[in-house]
Amino acid sequence: MIEAQSLSKRYGAKTAVDNVSFTVQPGKVTGFLGPNGAGKSTTMRMIVGLDRPTDGAVTVNGKPYPRHKAPLHEVGALLDAKAVHTKRSAYNHLRALAATHGISNKRVNDVIELTGLGPVAKRRVGGFSLGMGQRLGIAVALLGDPQTLIFDEPVNGLDPEGVLWVRNLAKGLAAEGRTVFLSSHLMSEMAVTADHLIVIGRGRIIADAPITEIIAGQDKIRTLVRTDQPEELRRELENRETTFTQLEPDLLEITGRDPRSIAEAALARQILIYELTPRQSSLEEAYMELTRDQVEYQSQAIDQPEAPVPAAEATLISGGGKSA
Amino acid sequence: MSTAAPAAQEPRSSGAGRVTFARVLRSEMIKTATVPSTVILLAVSFAVMVGLGALVAWGTVQLVNDPAAGPPGGLGASAQSLAYDIPASGLPFGQLLIAALAVVLIGSEYTTGMIRSTMVAVPTRTPALLAKTLVTAVISFILGVLAAFATYLAAQPILSGSDLDFGLDADGVLPSIINTGTVLALIAVMGVAIGALLRSTAGGVVTLVGALFVLPIITGLLSGLADWVVDAERFLPSSASAALVATRVQPEAFNQAEGGLILAGWAVVLLAAAVVVIKKRDV
Repeated sequence: MIEAQSLSKRYGAKTAVDNVSFTVQPGKVTGFLGPNGAGKSTTMRMIVGLDRPTDGAVTVNGKPYPRHKAPLHEVGALLDAKAVHTKRSAYNHLRALAATHGISNKRVNDVIELTGLGPVAKRRVGGFSLGMGQRLGIAVALLGDPQTLIFDEPVNGLDPEGVLWVRNLAKGLAAEGRTVFLSSHLMSEMAVTADHLIVIGRGRIIADAPITEIIAGQDKIRTLVRTDQPEELRRELENRETTFTQLEPDLLEITGRDPRSIAEAALARQILIYELTPRQSSLEEAYMELTRDQVEYQSQAIDQPEAPVPAAEATLISGGGKSA
Repeated sequence: MSTAAPAAQEPRSSGAGRVTFARVLRSEMIKTATVPSTVILLAVSFAVMVGLGALVAWGTVQLVNDPAAGPPGGLGASAQSLAYDIPASGLPFGQLLIAALAVVLIGSEYTTGMIRSTMVAVPTRTPALLAKTLVTAVISFILGVLAAFATYLAAQPILSGSDLDFGLDADGVLPSIINTGTVLALIAVMGVAIGALLRSTAGGVVTLVGALFVLPIITGLLSGLADWVVDAERFLPSSASAALVATRVQPEAFNQAEGGLILAGWAVVLLAAAVVVIKKRDV
């Protein structure tokens, strides 16, 4: 279990983590989600004592990390895959870290097998791909067979097979009753891996809830409707709560009305509709909604040409991004 | 899916898996042995020190055989005492290379990011730094003694032609051989401390080499300006090292024990500063 109380970290005038409190529970995968620069890595570095909090405190299993007598048996951390001497082999890297806790060479070989590093274990880490570096980082985290695992962006640079492996590993570790704390800026990855989600933006916690609740929390019902008479349907349904987006000439996205009331209105006006698809808001949309104002590095829209564009084409362009 | 989690496992290591200084020391030994730069620098240091010593032996013989080259009236008895200094004569190059090795051993942890893995494994930090210091110092001591002894052996056949060969029991020779190791060990401590303070290989090497080899040049140039410069010069690491390996105490110089204390003072002050700083600093 990881407990952070009023945790803050400031670098000069810049506040990286701002008065953050949360608890990461054992037995489930807790996702730590936020845009780049939101304070995820800084928070994780404070958990394992690499960075000293400016204010507040964070404990692992009831104690600050540096107070544990056998820290690698308490917490396994993958913070960055680059925390390795490039001239040393993966095997020797693991052996050196294992030695600090008297961990046997057998365990070193076990984690090498477990992470699929066998064929490259005796090679210098400097020549590793990012994916192999991540696997080595995970091997280090697993070395002490710890009760708590912290993975910072573990799927970065992994191939699809590796992504799946990390996902199953995280779930498996949580199913054994361990605490698994996993950061990512990839919402899609969190949606399939995490049970609980802590969303951070600009150093502040924006949401801390089970993942189902976060997705359901976006309570706007959206429905895709395909009809030859979109304008007439629109007039029929128009009120203050309902908004319309014309995705294609015959395709409307209607927000704020349930599918049944849309169908009833169409039936009453004899409007033919040949598609009626309720859309659940994805975690991605929930996340964008939550972090809209919290993104540190916001990309600017590229200026559209001023020249007049035929109406139908303009609709297509503006709808292009949404139909995915 | 994982809500019905089994109870947390019992701790599988009841005290057995604790971090102890002996274990951290073992970890640092593995680290030191498994980077190529260690072996290369040690081999080069040994070869250069012995090679240079042999060259000095040959030069001494030339000096004795050619009275015109030496001071008026010949070297006389002082030729023998010059020969006693030969085992430690490779020391300046040894200092240069061991300074580089010590700084590289810790500096490369910072430049590669390895230091973060080290400090997650040993979050109290001080044991990791002290263990690295100890390993580096012991290696340097052994290298110094072996190189000086090998130089002694290599010099004897060269010197014997002029009847200048001598035994290990000659005045101050054995202490000089052992103190070659002591000097390198203390330089290694300074190197690790400076590397940790500066977190950079290049900066650390430049700083330490500057302190060892450039400071004496500067004090030499300034010595005419004030008496205190001359006094201060005797406390420089370079002067202390020279006093430590001297087979006979030079006029106005410190003796071996005093030289050793001064050099150890430098090492301890730098190491203490490094301990304080790494304990506080974010990694």
